[in-house]
Amino acid sequence: MEKEKFNKEILEKIQELKIKPRARWHFLLKNYAIWISGILALLVGAASFSVIIYLSSYNDFAIRQDIHKSLGEMLLLTLPYFWLIFLGFFMFIVYYNLKHTKTGYRYSVGLIVFITVGASIFLGGIFFAAGLGQELDEVFGKNMPLYSEMVNPHMDFWSNPEDGRLIGILVAQNNEDSFILFDKNRQEWTILIRGNSFISVPTANQPLRLIGEKKSDNTFEVFKILPMTPGHGFFKKANNGQHRRY
Amino acid sequence: MIENIEFEQKTDEELVEIILENQSAFSQLVNRYREKLLRYIRRISGVSLEESEDMLQNIFIKAYLNLNDFDNGLKFSSWIYRIAHNEVIDNYRKRQARPQLLDIDIKDSQIKELAGSTDLLEELARQELKQEIRIAISKINYKYQEIIILKYIEEKDYQEISDIIKKPLGTVASRMNKAKAELKKVLRTSRKI
Repeated sequence: MEKEKFNKEILEKIQELKIKPRARWHFLLKNYAIWISGILALLVGAASFSVIIYLSSYNDFAIRQDIHKSLGEMLLLTLPYFWLIFLGFFMFIVYYNLKHTKTGYRYSVGLIVFITVGASIFLGGIFFAAGLGQELDEVFGKNMPLYSEMVNPHMDFWSNPEDGRLIGILVAQNNEDSFILFDKNRQEWTILIRGNSFISVPTANQPLRLIGEKKSDNTFEVFKILPMTPGHGFFKKANNGQHRRY
Repeated sequence: MIENIEFEQKTDEELVEIILENQSAFSQLVNRYREKLLRYIRRISGVSLEESEDMLQNIFIKAYLNLNDFDNGLKFSSWIYRIAHNEVIDNYRKRQARPQLLDIDIKDSQIKELAGSTDLLEELARQELKQEIRIAISKINYKYQEIIILKYIEEKDYQEISDIIKKPLGTVASRMNKAKAELKKVLRTSRKI
């Protein structure tokens, strides 16, 4: 096709279809949307990482020999899968958004992954130090259905009296050697204290983790009493607050 | 006429600013890139002249529509070649077929550079090589074809190729090495060297 004819056809088509260049704000908006959603995803991912640090810092590494057969088993049972999947999902969004910024294609996958992971870890560390990990765990524990089944793997792991582990909230002290505890399913237990079991002295309304032996359907002999930090919010739920009647 | 002469003296980037105010200046950009893009489309797609011209028209309309998205951090030529690259890929997807033989016109200087980069200059006579390279390029993987064409036929540097195909420089370099190796392999097989 001749040059002049081709030019004429294009200009005619532009006029005929009333084509106009898209406004600059249209492109700016798209660009800002990519950056803002990327930053939000980074913040959510970092918040998830702060919860992972918080849960991992209470994974009972010091007493692992009392409660786990091996280090592998300990990791398998106590890894916070929910938060790891959450973190992975939001890190992927950060990666995707960075790759789709105007110049994102210029950077290698390795560099973008490094920046995404590095920024999530760095910010997550700051959030953890500021107490966000604990705060989120409490909020989720208090409000989220299936928290003890999905979000905090420690809860299920510790709710196993047959294997010598029990969690619950201390509701009343019977005497020096025994107290009453409600477990996470609101079942009442009489706890018998054997020797000096206290790593920290429990107080009423305090969630606890117990290591010991089940003696009967509602009696548990305790060897070691540990405070419970992750999952604390779970026992503040209204429907877990039967202890208030005491 | 005077207006056209004024437009001719402007850089592509200056012309973009003018087009946003004065639509008629767009024909100057079309003049500058019509031949280059038409050759590029035919080289990387191998479609008929008629189909190439239809694609070219789409490319210019998309460029016009998205002029405000062009930023000066990029060469205008890279930007419009990128639109062409995307248009060819879209066209492939629609047709769900890749061309068998590319329409590649290769200059002697380009042959020398390409053959030199694949260590084949001493092994093959240049006149025969021109036709063989043309066939060999059409036989290699599409992503390698395009990178060879951009580097040796369109004479783009690595940064421009990176901006056109939207891949990092490292990927462009490694893809180039693989492309040369594949091209060499095809040439050797065809010559039974």
